[in-house]
Amino acid sequence: MKMEDMPLSGPDNTKLESLVHDIYSELVEDACLGLCFEVHRAVKQGYFFLDETDQESMKEFEIVDQPGVDIFGQVYNQWKNKECECPNCKRLIAASRFAPHLEKCLGMGRNSSRIANRRLASNNNMSKSESDQEDNDDLNDNDWSYGAEKKAKKRKSDKNQNSPRRSKSMKHKNGELGTIVTSEPYKYNFNTGISYETLGPDEVRSLLTTQCGVISEHTKKMCTRSQRCPQHTDEQRRAVRVFLLGPSAPTLPDADPVVENDGFDIPDGQTLMSRLQWEDSSDISPTDSASSKASTNPSDSRRPKKKKRPSLGLNSGSGGGGGGGSSSLTGGSSSSQSNISLSTKKRGLSSLHRLFRASTMT
Amino acid sequence: MSKDSQMRAAINQKLIEMGERERLKELLRAKLVECGWKDQLKAHCKDVIREKGLEHVTVEDLVTEVTPKGRGRVQTRNKQTKQHNSALMSRILGC
Repeated sequence: MKMEDMPLSGPDNTKLESLVHDIYSELVEDACLGLCFEVHRAVKQGYFFLDETDQESMKEFEIVDQPGVDIFGQVYNQWKNKECECPNCKRLIAASRFAPHLEKCLGMGRNSSRIANRRLASNNNMSKSESDQEDNDDLNDNDWSYGAEKKAKKRKSDKNQNSPRRSKSMKHKNGELGTIVTSEPYKYNFNTGISYETLGPDEVRSLLTTQCGVISEHTKKMCTRSQRCPQHTDEQRRAVRVFLLGPSAPTLPDADPVVENDGFDIPDGQTLMSRLQWEDSSDISPTDSASSKASTNPSDSRRPKKKKRPSLGLNSGSGGGGGGGSSSLTGGSSSSQSNISLSTKKRGLSSLHRLFRASTMT
Repeated sequence: MSKDSQMRAAINQKLIEMGERERLKELLRAKLVECGWKDQLKAHCKDVIREKGLEHVTVEDLVTEVTPKGRGRVQTRNKQTKQHNSALMSRILGC
């Protein structure tokens, strides 16, 4: 039987509706029947009235429908205004705040230990600068109010300022200079100075190669600025180095890199290079202080200076004649210039330059 | 009216084949439970049983008592199902 054969048009809509209604009522009847069968079975099996057996308990747990009370008959905010006495501090505390207060008061619980740790750490940091924090500790033990948290937060931020963690962020900015300064926060003070007394000779040497190092008269601290710092002269720097490392350590930084010229190039320089190698780590011009260990980097900064050299060749040539050590090296320089790498050349140049200056000054 | 009954039978058959009838039935049952129709009818059943006595209740009694009441209660509430039915019907009949 095909449905399509019986087209239903407009007036047959009512028929459609009646059909729908019929089908619907059939479904409802089915549901009713289903319910009846279910109930009947329950009756015959004996479990239909099972939830009504105990009349007493039914009365007891009846649903309450009174104002101001929930369906179990309980009052809503009965314990809100009650106060309890703390067994520890004997104070009267509001009921809703009693549990957190006990936690702080007895010193147990996760939160209180965390706060105590934080306080200890910040106290260790601040004990040098401030001495009256201890007064606040006693107050803060029992005080769980907002003020204590504010203080704790403030101290926590103070603690983080000088911790090693800060040095990690500064590493990227200052390069090596930054790491040297902040990698040992316990030795150095918060000022920009270092106490030379606490450092060993090796540390002093490494410091002096990168920093100014001049010891201030007021604070007895070494200057941590670069080797070209305008506050101190080279004389001072040399004096400091002599003072700290002994007169045998001529590790002076370069002050006039412009004076270099081809005359001081080391042509057959291999032996000379090896001789000068010991000054390897200290042959750094002031501008290269940030990348002292990298041998190729200085080449970039030196290139502009190279251009100046030919113009000053006359000056240094005459000066080279005066220097005893440098006169032997003036010959045949430019031919073998290409053989030597830039880095070794520079190192040789700086040491030669130093010798030259030493000779001119005497 | 045999045409009508014929048609009705045909429609029913189609419905069963499509599986729609089952789905409609379940849908209707769920809706009845939701709106509390089932619990009310059950309470009514309880009354009937208490009247008649626990031992002698039969299915027929229940059915005759309960069904008309149930049907009357349902009619006003389940328009949605009806509409769904009519949509379905029009789909089946292709008009």
